[in-house]
Amino acid sequence: MEAFEDFLDHGGIVEPVDTIPDPYREAVFRFIELHANSELMGGLTERDWIPRTPGLRHKIKILAKTQDEIGHGHLLYMVAADLGIKSRSEMLEDLFAGRSRFHNVFHYRAKTWGDQVAIAFLVDAAALASQQAVFKVCSYGPYRRILKRIITEEGFHMRFGEERMLKIAEGTDFQRAMFQQSIDDWWWPSLQLFGPDSRPDDVLLRWHIKSERNEVLRFQWVQKFVPLLHDYGFTVPDPGLTFDSEEGHWVSGPIDWMPLEQTLQQAGPDSARRIGEAAANWEKSQWVRDALNRVAELADAA
Amino acid sequence: MTVIADLRAGLTGMVAAAVAGVDDPEYPGVSIADLGLLEQIEVDMAGHARIGLIPTFSGCPALDVITTDVHAAVAAVTGVSSVEVTWLGSPSWSTNRITPRARKVLSNQFTVAVQDRNTPATCARCGNPTTEQSPFGPSRCRAVHRCNNCIEVIEVLRV
Repeated sequence: MEAFEDFLDHGGIVEPVDTIPDPYREAVFRFIELHANSELMGGLTERDWIPRTPGLRHKIKILAKTQDEIGHGHLLYMVAADLGIKSRSEMLEDLFAGRSRFHNVFHYRAKTWGDQVAIAFLVDAAALASQQAVFKVCSYGPYRRILKRIITEEGFHMRFGEERMLKIAEGTDFQRAMFQQSIDDWWWPSLQLFGPDSRPDDVLLRWHIKSERNEVLRFQWVQKFVPLLHDYGFTVPDPGLTFDSEEGHWVSGPIDWMPLEQTLQQAGPDSARRIGEAAANWEKSQWVRDALNRVAELADAA
Repeated sequence: MTVIADLRAGLTGMVAAAVAGVDDPEYPGVSIADLGLLEQIEVDMAGHARIGLIPTFSGCPALDVITTDVHAAVAAVTGVSSVEVTWLGSPSWSTNRITPRARKVLSNQFTVAVQDRNTPATCARCGNPTTEQSPFGPSRCRAVHRCNNCIEVIEVLRV
């Protein structure tokens, strides 16, 4: 293990064909599985909004974004399965049975178009920042290469999010009030996407699976979004938020981690419905997988 | 007349270079011209530039972004007075329009392979044949393959 850690400290990249110590394999697997589950759950949320998205242009983009997210999930499940801990179907079974985790933000319900904009703007930025921090160092080769493509696509989603945010910010009083409500509802979940402060013994940092401590990424996100929202005349729902004029940065008030804890226990405000719908969707689409498998069987026989 | 014709040819060349400088939004470092999206360039005597592009598929969500980027790049060329960017209905795009240079960058930088009609896809890392896992990836123009030699998940640009 010491030699392996030394290899990682010197920028070594681990490939599936290498001899991989079990604790590393397990840590990378858990991380990628969480990412894959989150892409799938996120894609399903996005899909729910296709019929309700205003305007054909935005509808095309939401359609494409849905395909992106599901596609990312697909790639990630393959990379995770190659680690040999769980098969893809075992991962999906665990997800639909509520036995495995996905990001906290997908345990809440997007009720209005304002929520969708807030998600595209605040949540996508937080997710992208976390992924970039992984990509920067990631010692597991296949994940690093997939992340490169995922990140460019997520960056592209960010452009949509900013465009939509501008539109709603320059909209009617009704639209602005709706968006303020969405900021109030989504600010804390987005901020908590980064997780609590990293522990000193975090193996993800030690094994160069990610490059930055959670609290640093969270801090950077706050520095970006507080001034942006203020510039557009919106408020941030953090009564303890202060500006440190000496250091020239924003400091968040105390964070209540209880809501994050609840999402980790699959007991978030919308967890049960989300998991139930994902499971039902999986059952309803069984015929598609059956048909594809049958085509493959026939092709093999021919 | 020849002087004017030469000037026009020079301006068309500069416009072509400007378009070639626009990268695909999903593959930074890969020019849209090298991906085969550029079909027509016309610049008239008044400096009006008409750029005809073809999409990889008609529902591609990147079309607006590409339009904006091409417009900005061409408008910045000295001598161009106005720009019109149009997405053409034909010819249809296919992977054989992708240049060797773009294939190299896609393979080296993004681990993305290109599959031409009636030819098997090969791994972007080791060159061995891949097996298709799904005809659809994160986009309509890409399939998901796997290389059983280096155990790699490969995205394949396809027709």
